[in-house]
This record gives sequence, C-alpha cells and structure tokens, in this order.
Amino acid sequence: MLWLEDVHVRRGGTHALRGIDLEVRRGEIVALIGANGAGKTTTLWAISGLLRCQQGRIAFAPDTQRLDISRMRAERIVAAGISHCPEGRQIFGNLSVSENLMVGAYLRGDRDGIEQDLAAVHGLFPILATRAGLPGNRLSGGEQMMLAIGRALMSRPKLLLLDEPSLGLAPQLVEQIFDILQRIRNEGTAVLLVEQNAAMALDLADRAYVLETGLIKLAGDGKALAQNVEVRRAYLGVGP
Amino acid sequence: MTSAYILEQIANGIILGSMYALIAIGFSLIYGIVRLINFAHGDIVTIGAFAMLASVVVLNAPFALAVIFVLIVGAGVGMLIERIAFRPMRGAPQVTGFIASLAVAIVIENLGIMTLTAQPRNFIVPTWLSTFVPLGPLQVRAIDLTIVVLAILLMATLALFVRFTKVGMAMRATAENYNVARLMGINIDRMIMLAFAIGSALAAAAGLMWGSKYSQISPLMGLIPGLKAFVAAVIGGVGSISGAMLGGYVLGLAEVLFVGLLPPEYSGYRNVFVFATLIVILLVMPNGLLGRSTEERA
Repeated sequence: MLWLEDVHVRRGGTHALRGIDLEVRRGEIVALIGANGAGKTTTLWAISGLLRCQQGRIAFAPDTQRLDISRMRAERIVAAGISHCPEGRQIFGNLSVSENLMVGAYLRGDRDGIEQDLAAVHGLFPILATRAGLPGNRLSGGEQMMLAIGRALMSRPKLLLLDEPSLGLAPQLVEQIFDILQRIRNEGTAVLLVEQNAAMALDLADRAYVLETGLIKLAGDGKALAQNVEVRRAYLGVGP
Repeated sequence: MTSAYILEQIANGIILGSMYALIAIGFSLIYGIVRLINFAHGDIVTIGAFAMLASVVVLNAPFALAVIFVLIVGAGVGMLIERIAFRPMRGAPQVTGFIASLAVAIVIENLGIMTLTAQPRNFIVPTWLSTFVPLGPLQVRAIDLTIVVLAILLMATLALFVRFTKVGMAMRATAENYNVARLMGINIDRMIMLAFAIGSALAAAAGLMWGSKYSQISPLMGLIPGLKAFVAAVIGGVGSISGAMLGGYVLGLAEVLFVGLLPPEYSGYRNVFVFATLIVILLVMPNGLLGRSTEERA
C-alpha cells in the first residue's frame, strides 16, 4: 500500500537519502533498522510530508486508488490515511491527555467513530483513561509513549509510521508496546517501524529493510534477516 | 489622600490596563505560534481607531455596529500583513521576521501620515459615552465603563474559544509544536493566520477605546500603547495569553498608581515607572509572571 521509488532527500547540507526503494503491504509490520544517522527518521519525515523529496516518488494506496503523495501537504497525507508517531513521543505537554487524543482526531467529523476509537485506545492503554484530565507533561515516559501511539491511532490510519517506540523505555514496557503493535497490525493497520532495537524489531516484523548511510543495504523477511551474518554482526552484536 | 481618590486611581488603572491587556494578547498570541515579536502590532491600534472614526463619521453607524466593524477591519488587516510580510519569510531566522515587522510598522505609519497627515484629529463619539454613571462611591464616565466591560467580554470569549473549541485546541497544539501539529492534520498556515486575525482584532478594539477615551487620534498614536503593551506581554510571560491579560492590568495599575500616589512633580516620569516595573519583575521572574521557561517550551 506504500511505495517509495528512488527517493532522494537533502536535509541541510547532507544528502540524507540517496535513492531508496521500499514497500509496505497491507496488514504487515515492516521494520526499518540501521545505525544512527542512516536516514531512518528522514525516511518517515519524507513519507509524512514534513520533508520534501527532491527526486523520486512516494505513492500510497489507502484503498484501491493509488495516490502520489510526494508533493502533498502533511495534513492531506494524514487525511489520506497515514499517521506518523514521531521520535521522542512529542506529545503536547500543555494539553490534557484526552485533548492529546482528540487532537489526533482533528480531521475527523464522525463523532460516533471518534468515540469508538477513543474507547478502543483506552482498551489498548487503560492507563490513559485514568489519566484523562492530566496535562501530558505530567505523565511518565512510558505513559507518554502510550499516549503518542494512542494519539496516532485516533486518526484511524491505514498505515502507522512509528519512530523508535522503545527509546528510553524499560524492557518490560517495550515488550508491552511491541505486543500492542501486533494487535494493531491484526486489526488491519499496517505499520512501518523504525527501531534501534534491531533484535526485537526483526523478531516482530514480517519484513525488514536495513538502511545504511541513505541507501537500502538489505531487505527481506524479518526472521531471515535476523540470521544474516552481516546483520548479526552490525546490528545484533553477535557473531564473528 | 482620601480613599475615594485611591479607588478612583485604581479604577483608572483598570481602564488603562484593559487596553494594554487587549493589545498585549496579540503580542503573546502571535509570538506563541510563530515566535515573532510583531512590532507593527501597535499600528493596528491606530488602524482600529481610524476605522472607528470612519464608521461613525462616514458611515454614521451606531456604536455597537461600529465596534463589530472595527474588529473585522483589525482581523482583516492582521491577516493581510501576515500573508504579505510574514508568510514569505516562514523558516527564516527570527531576526528576519523582527525586521520585517519594523518595516511593516514604518510603511503603515508613513502611509497614514501621507494620506491623513500627522495632525491629530478629534475623535467623535456618541454623547452618551461622555455621561457619568454612578458606580458605588465613584462617578465613572460611560466610556470608561464600556471599555472595561467590552475588554472583559472580548477576553472571556477568547479564553473560552482557546480552551474549549476544537480550533482553539489546535491553536494550542500548534503553539507547542509546529511539526507535530502538522502530523495531526492541522493546517498551520491557517492557525498562524488565525492568530494574527484574533490578535489584530483585539488591538483594533483597543484602538477604538483609546480614541474614545482620549478624544484624539493620529497616525502615530499606536506607538506608545504598542510599546507598553509589549512590556505588559513580557511582564506576563510572552507566549502566554493569560499572562498577557494579567501583565496588561499589572502595568496599567502600576503606571496609574505611581503617577497618582507619588508627589505631582514625579508625574513626568510616567514611562520610567513602566519600564522600571518591567525590569524589577524580570529580575525576580525572568520568564514573566505566567511564562514557562524556554527549556520546557522547546
């Protein structure tokens, strides 16, 4: 449902993406792994329209129709069905928890649908219901992560872009979040996951891409990549 | 010094503070969303006063209708300035926007002088506004009462709008984080334009009040109220709307009480008191009364 074809992005003075091809299919979790500065976050920013690609094409097919989103404004890309949960959680600290969730549904007018999705998010993260009136900056790191994912789900996306959900969280929480990603996928939302924690990401993902200095180095089945000698040495810290 | 005299001074401080607060909100609202100190903001006060004069003299509109006209003119001019002068510079360093705002101020002031001459002209208000109304132990001019009531009405409307509507929530989200707001589907260009519209409408309202109260207007009349309202915004914590309101009243009261309670020979130092208040408050509270630290906001 998402295709990147020969995408180039220059960011500041650097050529951050040097022609990458990537695909996300309906109902799958795709992991994008790589070292710091490889261009993982840049890839997500290019997809969600926060950065423009200077060359190449990004196409998205929420249903049968295929849209060219490479030149679309960020807010129209959200409307098309892509939701981007940014790195570092980035919740609105001065807005209450429930306002954060409602702002996620900003483009929607269907009150009943919003109520339904709010209940669904509260089902995934019960803690958010008990914290509803609290300002976002009063939550713990783990709760903020849950809020960020919940907020991203409130637009009822067809594709969820998730940037480093494990960053700074306790291992137990990370596992909980990864479980929830699986539930999100099973309910029909595709996920493109950027992760430092390569082992967990490859374990979860249906397919994965390895990004190195702005180029796709390897691609393939998640479990198979986890067995790849190069990946094991560079990203999993095992092997010769 | 009788208590009636002190009460009267306090009333005067509240009247002046109401106008400062209305102008200061615009500084804070615009800074909060685009991180721009808009030095053309004081000139919207002028435009509001002239729009009032035009609607009363030329169009012969009743007072209430004229107020609405002034609000609309202010909002329109604010949006126009944003579109022409500031939007093309989006993403440029802060200082660029600051200089652009000075340019806008100079253009508006000189256009005013060229077309209307620098000569102050009399501001015509309906006669009922000059009548006195008893208010407790005080006799207050109807215009003064109108200023305070109208200001509080406008500010309460704004506060409710920002707090409880979807668009108000989107504005708060945009003020906090541009990029993430865009990821929520918020059109930030529209939010910025809205901030300019609201801030400028309130400044224009302050202009009509200023003109009605002091009965004289000129193309440069907005300079001093603009500058002092900027001080009020900084006192309250620039970026915070409630801070701007509070800062406006603190400054208005401080200014009037300094002048009113100190011996008359100090009254020439009016503006010294204003800026001394600013310096003292910033020394004690560097982020203003209700401002957040920049670390938190980033």
